[in-house]
Amino acid sequence: MVVLRRGYSVPEHVAMFAAGTGLLGAVYPAVLAHTGWPGLPCPLRTLTGVPCPFCGMTTATAAISHGEWGSAAAANPLVYPVAALVAATVPVLLARAAGRAPGPRPWPEAVRRRTRWAVAVLVGLSWLFQLHRFGFL
Amino acid sequence: MTYEPYGAPANPAVTYASWAQRVGAYLIDAIPVAVIYVIGVATRNAVVLLLFVLIALGVQIYNRWILAGRTGQSWGKRALGLKLVSDNTGEPIGAGMAFVRDICHIVDSLICYVGWLFPLWDAKRQTIADKIVSTVVVPA
Repeated sequence: MVVLRRGYSVPEHVAMFAAGTGLLGAVYPAVLAHTGWPGLPCPLRTLTGVPCPFCGMTTATAAISHGEWGSAAAANPLVYPVAALVAATVPVLLARAAGRAPGPRPWPEAVRRRTRWAVAVLVGLSWLFQLHRFGFL
Repeated sequence: MTYEPYGAPANPAVTYASWAQRVGAYLIDAIPVAVIYVIGVATRNAVVLLLFVLIALGVQIYNRWILAGRTGQSWGKRALGLKLVSDNTGEPIGAGMAFVRDICHIVDSLICYVGWLFPLWDAKRQTIADKIVSTVVVPA
């Protein structure tokens, strides 16, 4: 069994990445408008026409960065749990940076397993949503 | 053959390169190729552009496949103190497998590039391409 040493936990890594993309999302529409760049296409949808579970996340992230909650949900509701993760995690990271919170502790295996299942269900639901959004269901 | 002391863990704690470090190394590898390509495009001459594209391809072949395959360190990985090795042997994977690994990165891009984010949550911080060819990126 591999024992992994991480400075941050997995949710913290994901939350930091999501927070970073949220900041980029704030300027993303302006970049598209000024450059004429169409944005990042989904290779799966470009090649096959079938969307993947994460289609619309760029649009949803940009929308939520501008407080457009409805537009975000219409593009990909998966952005909501990700935003909730960021909202819950950033205070912990700030508290730790200020020396007011302990370092991350490994989760019990049962909790890890339940979390993996929950994420898999969310991604599955997101895929169903995208298939419906693009007229496959 | 060596034996672990009785009662000691079978495998010592292993560290892997973080996602941010890997992105940094990848960008350092990409910069020379991008600069050569942009210079070629700026000439607005198809023949010169083709020449620069071939030079950029040569840089890619040398840096990402030959150098990284033989030593485990492309320019980017060397700059950031990382090493690409086989998960099974701990040794560099060779130029051929380094090429195959980069081809497998297509799979990382397929579902909205999420495969590239796998090191954020994966226990061995592997991308999907890393899992396909059984490689890990570790501190050198």
